[in-house]
Amino acid sequence: MSLVALAVLAPLAAAAGIPVLRRAPALLALLGAGAGLVAGLGLLTRVSAGLHPVLILPGLPGMPLRLVGTPLTALLSLLVAVVGALVLIYAVGYMKRDDEKVRFFATMSFFIAAMQTLVLAGDWILLLAAWELIGLSSYLLIGFWYRRPGVASAATRAFLYTRTADLGLYAAVFLLIGTTGSSEIAVTLHSGGGASVAVGLLLLAAAMGKSAQTPLHDWLQRAMAGPTPVSALLHSATLVAAGAILLIRTAPLLPPDALLAIGIVGGITTVVTGLIALAEKDLKRLLAASTSSQYGLMLVAVGAGVPKAALLLLIAHAVIKSSLFLGAGVFQHSRHSTRLTDLHGAGRDRPWIFAGFTLAALALAGIPPLSGFFAKDAVIAASLASSNARLLAPLALAGTLLTGAYMARALRILWRGKRLDRRVAGLRWMGAGLAGLVIPAVVLGAAFPFIETLLATPVPETTLARVFGLSAALGGLTLGWFIPGRRLLGPLLPWAQRGFAIAGGVDAWIVRPALALARGCERLERTLYAGVMAGGRLGLAIARAVRRSDDQGIDGLIASLVRGTINLGNRARALQSGLIHRELAMTVAGTALLLAALLAGVLVFP
Amino acid sequence: MTSMAHDLSFLIPEILVLLTGAGTLVCEMLRRPRTALAVAVAGLLLATALTLPLLGVDTSVFSGTFRIDTLSIWAKLILLPATVLSLLLARAELHGGDREGTVYSLLCFTTFGALVLAGSGDTMFLVLGVLLSGLGAFALVAYPRNDAATEAAMKFFVFASVTGGVMIFGLTYWFGATGSTLLGDLGGLDKAPLAAAVGLIAVIVGLGYKASLVPFHFWAPDAYEGAPLSVAAYLSVVPKIGAIFALVQVVRDLPVSGGWPFLLAVVSVLTMTFGYLAALVQDNVVRLLAYSSIAQAGYFLLGVVAVGVSPLALPALIVFAAAYAAMNLGAFSVTLRTGRTLDAFAGLGRGNPVVGVAMVLFLLSLTGIPPLAGFVGKFLLFGAAIDAHFTWLTVVAILNSVLSLAVYLRIVVPMYRRRSEAAAPMPTHLPWNRAVWVVALIATLAIGLGAQALIGRLA
Repeated sequence: MSLVALAVLAPLAAAAGIPVLRRAPALLALLGAGAGLVAGLGLLTRVSAGLHPVLILPGLPGMPLRLVGTPLTALLSLLVAVVGALVLIYAVGYMKRDDEKVRFFATMSFFIAAMQTLVLAGDWILLLAAWELIGLSSYLLIGFWYRRPGVASAATRAFLYTRTADLGLYAAVFLLIGTTGSSEIAVTLHSGGGASVAVGLLLLAAAMGKSAQTPLHDWLQRAMAGPTPVSALLHSATLVAAGAILLIRTAPLLPPDALLAIGIVGGITTVVTGLIALAEKDLKRLLAASTSSQYGLMLVAVGAGVPKAALLLLIAHAVIKSSLFLGAGVFQHSRHSTRLTDLHGAGRDRPWIFAGFTLAALALAGIPPLSGFFAKDAVIAASLASSNARLLAPLALAGTLLTGAYMARALRILWRGKRLDRRVAGLRWMGAGLAGLVIPAVVLGAAFPFIETLLATPVPETTLARVFGLSAALGGLTLGWFIPGRRLLGPLLPWAQRGFAIAGGVDAWIVRPALALARGCERLERTLYAGVMAGGRLGLAIARAVRRSDDQGIDGLIASLVRGTINLGNRARALQSGLIHRELAMTVAGTALLLAALLAGVLVFP
Repeated sequence: MTSMAHDLSFLIPEILVLLTGAGTLVCEMLRRPRTALAVAVAGLLLATALTLPLLGVDTSVFSGTFRIDTLSIWAKLILLPATVLSLLLARAELHGGDREGTVYSLLCFTTFGALVLAGSGDTMFLVLGVLLSGLGAFALVAYPRNDAATEAAMKFFVFASVTGGVMIFGLTYWFGATGSTLLGDLGGLDKAPLAAAVGLIAVIVGLGYKASLVPFHFWAPDAYEGAPLSVAAYLSVVPKIGAIFALVQVVRDLPVSGGWPFLLAVVSVLTMTFGYLAALVQDNVVRLLAYSSIAQAGYFLLGVVAVGVSPLALPALIVFAAAYAAMNLGAFSVTLRTGRTLDAFAGLGRGNPVVGVAMVLFLLSLTGIPPLAGFVGKFLLFGAAIDAHFTWLTVVAILNSVLSLAVYLRIVVPMYRRRSEAAAPMPTHLPWNRAVWVVALIATLAIGLGAQALIGRLA
């Protein structure tokens, strides 16, 4: 079997097998993720050897479905596989006490399979399908604890936000296929043409929804209602990454105007959500805001015309953010809360976990020699080298500064305070998953040159960018550690705490209209229903008359057949009286009957 | 003397079974039940292996009184492994009992009787086989030493005595008419239709009791219920197949003008229909399976009526016998671990999905759903019966299969209900039981899938 197919099918098989067997769900999920990981590694070695495996499946006439292995897709597939596997290892511990492991691990495996399909898709139709599957599985996972208050609405909100933005993807794909006549991504990328600006903006809309860019960033913070491993997966390599991956993959297609729009949206997001992160009162929501902010930086890099820099940040961010979430999950178990006020000193409870969390936080801020530094460096260099440097570079630097500030704030809160030693179940598995992610978060920078050669495009790096980036990061960390977030924000605080009131506005455009539409549909349905019922009653009256005749006819026949069969059965049982003389008499009678039949046969038909 | 040695060389498997039974008894005398089990299993497996070189042989020994042909060789290949599985089931159910080893040795001796039946070429061997396979069986049924078992064994014994007496009485007519006890000389009955009819009825009574054909089946449900479950499983498979094969050995030499195919077709209809109708209203899984095994005996007769007319008849009987042994032992094995009432099966499919799936497959196979073993067997049997111009019988059999689905669904449906709180807890660990149903499941699937190739070749 081809490796591309295995990368998708292994987690898919786990997702299908778990609900069927209903046993050892964690083991099956890990097996699926492990096989997917092996496939991802094999695919990357193949691709770096210069091969480009393609799997073509029959799809629409003339538009087959394709899974392709290119340097970019192989790299992303490996990233998804690694993060997926480690998060699952962590989840073994995290979900130890949960009763619904089967549902959890099946959906997680399905989620990973959908994401693998998305990154490996070589045609728009498969990509659209995968895009939808990701939306569905993230809805299921965010709403995993659906009995808890607020969870169902958070899941619905996430679904509606991303779905609305998905319309952009649909429109873009229709435009692309319509103008080029092909559904193959590689072909459509090199077509150019007048539709490109429109296509670029539509793709941006889709990416804004999935990657939670301002003004559509609110759903991501609410999505924290799901289990922590879900957040870790959602924020790093899967759902949220889908938006950025879409733009990175389609970057060659985009004209300068669209790029500028992407850069501006990204720049605004990174600053706005950075400020929100500073004001957050909940650790997981802080990390969620930070995710939006980092994806903003990636969009800046795409907008600056260096999508490879965005890719580096995507990879670094995936391992860093998942480690941060996994660490936060341990603190959550230890304090039974994610509110920052409850977490004072939680780091002291678990110094090793805190050490991992700190390394990841510093990596995110961009401190050398951790992986985040190299990625941030590339993004800032890209923004400085861009033709719109005056617009993009300050935004990128502000984003970097804010990253340092809110991470330092989180670290300080976790470290300052009293130690409370509470037992945490499943710590060993959680620690293993966390360690597996922190190590790449630290050392991945060393692999970046390899990635750059693999992708055959060097990423710009200048001393100027390094100086700027490093000073922004250090400045941010210092500010965040020594000055409380509320003082830093000053007059912006109430705004930031309310998410800049944008969420309310977006609710007014998206969630409320969607729900109003749904209610309208329901009302229409009820009206129709009443009408249909009236008609139906008439029909029923006729039907009843017909049935009455049927009852005595066919139905009666069948019912009496069944009744007769059961009666016969009862009579057959009654023959078994248990009285041996009677039974033997019956045997003799039977024998006589047979003999009579035979003799009749012999005598009458000689 | 050389001819004697030559004859004995063909009988090595039978001799080995006999020696195994004796050896097992010695082990039990030494109070070594585990060794007894090991000796029995090893001996029977060795006998199976030594049967393999005989495949393809078609001869008879001791001046034609015992046949070494396709039927008797396959009887060994099916009944010996089936006995091994029954031994393991008995170990699972009865281990730790004070007379455990006697069960193993009685199982070996009873199997020997069934093998004698399946290879008999002489009416005296028929009598001998019925007696050999009967004596051990009474003792096996009486093993629990309680009222139900004693009554069941007693009833079983009385039935056996009466039917055995009738059979011997009838066989004297055949001897009188032909002047020979050899089955090979039955062609001479052409000239004595009345004697032929009396003898035939007698044979049907004698073997029909052993194969639990209606109306000679009355002992079966009581015996199965009173006996240990492993013994019930064994009785429903090994002596029954032995008796059916013996019936084939008889009718293949009978002149068709005697009207026996029609008579057996009538018995077949009675057996299938009565078996499933009675099974439909049972609440006890053991009794349900007992009536089901009665009904399945009726299906065997579909192949018997086609003997000598259709080339499909013998392969159909052999395939169905193997399939029946596997699926029936599997169903009994799951019942052993679950419980004897329908209520005990409630929630099995949810609580223990693997066992649940296995049980569903056994029951579907008993119904005859493709691609399982039971389907292939029944498909071949139907083909043989149609070949022999018994289309009406096939139609009745298919209608009964519909009825059988209702019977088996009575077990399946509660398996996927939620388990009620009041339900009894699962029994404790039963050694070997899992091995039995796993082997039976593999055999059910393998026969089903493997025989598709066979059907392809025959079609």
